[in-house]
Amino acid sequence: MDVSEKDELRNGDDTTVNYDESANNPPPDWRVSGSNPVSDSYPTENLMMETLWYDPANVQAVGYGGFNGGGNASSSSSFRGNIDRSLEMGWSLPNLLPPKGGNGMFLPNAGSFLPPSMAQFPADSGFIERAARFSLFSGGSFSDMMNQQQPLGNPESVGLFLQGQCPSSEVNVVGVAHNDASAGMKETNVRSSEQGNKQNVSEDTQSSGGNDQKGGETSSKGFDSKKRKRNKQNAEADQSQRSQQSEEEPDNNGGGDKKRNDEQSPNSQGNKTNSGKQQGKQASDPKDGYIHVRARRGQATNSHSLAERVRREKISERMKFLQDLVPGCNKVTGKAVMLDEIINYVQSLQRQVEFLSMKLATVNPQMDFSLEGLLAKDALQLRAGTSSATPFPPNMPMVYPPLPHGFMQQTLSSMGRNVSSPLSPPINGGYKRQEANGWEGDLQNVIQINYGAGDAPHDSQAAAATEASLPSSNMKVEP
Amino acid sequence: MASADKPINTDVPEKDVFTLHFLQSLSNLRRQNTFNSPEKTNDRVKKIKKAAYVSMARAAGGTNRLWSRALLRRAAKENSKVVRFPRRKKRVTCLRRRRSNRRDPVEEEEAERLRNLVPGGGGMETSKLMEETAHYIKCLSMQVKVMQCLVDGLAPK
Repeated sequence: MDVSEKDELRNGDDTTVNYDESANNPPPDWRVSGSNPVSDSYPTENLMMETLWYDPANVQAVGYGGFNGGGNASSSSSFRGNIDRSLEMGWSLPNLLPPKGGNGMFLPNAGSFLPPSMAQFPADSGFIERAARFSLFSGGSFSDMMNQQQPLGNPESVGLFLQGQCPSSEVNVVGVAHNDASAGMKETNVRSSEQGNKQNVSEDTQSSGGNDQKGGETSSKGFDSKKRKRNKQNAEADQSQRSQQSEEEPDNNGGGDKKRNDEQSPNSQGNKTNSGKQQGKQASDPKDGYIHVRARRGQATNSHSLAERVRREKISERMKFLQDLVPGCNKVTGKAVMLDEIINYVQSLQRQVEFLSMKLATVNPQMDFSLEGLLAKDALQLRAGTSSATPFPPNMPMVYPPLPHGFMQQTLSSMGRNVSSPLSPPINGGYKRQEANGWEGDLQNVIQINYGAGDAPHDSQAAAATEASLPSSNMKVEP
Repeated sequence: MASADKPINTDVPEKDVFTLHFLQSLSNLRRQNTFNSPEKTNDRVKKIKKAAYVSMARAAGGTNRLWSRALLRRAAKENSKVVRFPRRKKRVTCLRRRRSNRRDPVEEEEAERLRNLVPGGGGMETSKLMEETAHYIKCLSMQVKVMQCLVDGLAPK
């Protein structure tokens, strides 16, 4: 029965995928598959059967995962009553944190991992217990890991490991997951439970303990030194591969990393996956070799990958900022296209400056930028409304008879603050000339020319902006 | 690498500051070469352009921004002037980090182009470069507005 169930489970691997998706829909159903040793021939309950076959107290967790697959089965409803009880019983054992809420509900993620793994694991009750706890733990921690900004590769790799590996590697993953949890999660319960598990599974947890070596958070004491060395070697190998980032390694290790994820966790995680991978290979028949590859890819050497991720986040944040600046970049997505747009915009702005300077040169061939004349027009644009009659600063080089308009006064005063002495002579000369002509009329003309009927400074600036934008749009067309 | 995200500060002074500096530099120009002959438009144009950039750099915060520093230094070099900037200790770490951090093949070519465009972008890592670009864009647009208003103001005369 056991073998047949396993075969059916294996065959049902495809279906388990479906279960995974559908398992998310009816969360309560997973509770069902209970530990009742029902030998009914429900095809969908084969997963449950397998779980049922195991020690109910231990298997509750496992059954949980299986239940996700089998939860969709309508027949599982019959088990509900018993299963709830047994499930809760089973949960007292590992006492794994219910990820959210106090009930024994596991996230569907756990279930998604379990069924295929169940098919492949040998029917070892102790193993199943470990697997159950581990998967549950990892299931719960995955969501948290996903939610938090842990290196995303870890949860996926852990899950993948779960699916495709044997107990030893699986336990490694447990250690990994635990380390992940301990590293960043609030699930302290897991740690204690994991410690309890570790006592049961001494030799298997050694590798995970070795993984914790650098993390030093979980109670991974008395681990196999060989595995520890292997982990370190793996970490070093990875680091050597990424020699470019190697210089970050000491930075991260040296505590210079102020990220929320401690440096320990990335290192330990990197080690863990390395050791897990190794052990996965060494251990007997990893069923799905491709999973290892995936895990490796998703799990870069953590210190570097974390640094890379932070850097990338920085860059993306700034890209968003730039997106707001550059007009017409809201629809564009993707860094390359955005950067192209930004580059084009900067180039166009520079071309505008050049064009305008040319225009200025031609408009005013003598370059007689008489300040007063320019100021008279610009003053309108600047702060027309703010007629704060600031008294002239005493150090102002140009002291003129009282100005009729406050804004002019203000601009002159502001100019005076910054102005250096060379400016005074032209200002003096030009200003008197201008003043005599009654530049109020000039101002009025300028106002009308520039802004139509603009009065308020905002309008003026807006008008100026529109004016600037219009020719700019024209300029863009020009080569 | 610190994960602390200080808010990106790209405050640009108001338009009057830009106008001020621009007019200032223009009048300086006028004083230097009092009255260029009308034929040499190119020279005038170049001078005006340079004045525009320099004034923009000064208006935008002088030496607080990398690009403005580079601009001013470049302009000073052309005029064979010695420019002194207050030392910033952060420069060293930026350079040291440059080797390790500035790698991402997808965006590196774009970043390269940006670096060529934005003054002073050669020694920056990409995230800093983008910050400088944002500020540079703001200042450039402000300068364009100022110049546009100037041109419009002068044209009818």
